[in-house]
Amino acid sequence: MSGFLESLRCSECVDWGEKRNTIASVAAGVLFFTGWWIIIDAAVKYPQVEDFNHSYHACGVIATIAFLMINAVSNGQVRGDSYSEGCLGQTGARIWLFIGFMMAFGSLIASMWILFGGYVVKEKPVVYPGIAVFFQNAFIFFGGLVFKFGRTEDLWQ
Amino acid sequence: MAGVKALVALSFSGAIGLTFLMLGCALEYYGVYWPLFVLIFYFICPIPHFIAKRVGDDSDAASSACRELAYFFTTGIVVSAFGFPIILARVEAIKWGACGLVLAGNAVIFLTILGFFLVFGRGDDFSWEQW
Repeated sequence: MSGFLESLRCSECVDWGEKRNTIASVAAGVLFFTGWWIIIDAAVKYPQVEDFNHSYHACGVIATIAFLMINAVSNGQVRGDSYSEGCLGQTGARIWLFIGFMMAFGSLIASMWILFGGYVVKEKPVVYPGIAVFFQNAFIFFGGLVFKFGRTEDLWQ
Repeated sequence: MAGVKALVALSFSGAIGLTFLMLGCALEYYGVYWPLFVLIFYFICPIPHFIAKRVGDDSDAASSACRELAYFFTTGIVVSAFGFPIILARVEAIKWGACGLVLAGNAVIFLTILGFFLVFGRGDDFSWEQW
């Protein structure tokens, strides 16, 4: 019984090879833009402020900014093995990435807060906008993670 | 001659896709022309690829950050082309049947564009840089 998962290792039966970065980029694009279309759906279905408070859109905007911040620095810059120092060097890249991830986690947590604090606990008649906000932020968050960690920088050289 | 055959086949499938799109709009039972806005997505979907090709260096690296960003945005445009008719159907601007026809047309046309780049993208005789 022990170790029966070892034969199921996925990275060996699928030859990622040179296609890995492409697949990761496409998957991240699907996740990110699906998230935004979910919130567009909720916004056009419930245009009234009572159903869907417009300030809840800020959550997805912060998640998008975090997405951009996370993916603006390469892993090599954070590790310090890039050729150019950039304007702030390794420390600046680390601080930038730290703030980016904080905004990403913060928006994810805030979307859960909106779902439960704004819709479930108040027992509103329509819960769908809250679920849409949560799914939007979850999709953007995981899209960012896929875009950041799904790609390998060995293929760039 | 292989290039000509591929070109004819691709234009045939492109016409099929546009027919699906027009059926979704123009059938008397549907009769709403809002889905035609997906044409914008068809036209802008190769643009990130062109930009990445022009900006990125032509080194023989397997991939580059610029090209991956282009794939990301292209995927976004494709997802938007599929999301747009679904939203239209959700707010009952169009019927669900029209939405299905538009989605089928989307699939055919994006496969056509993909095939176009697979067939002609790598060839030396037909390069976009000449334009």
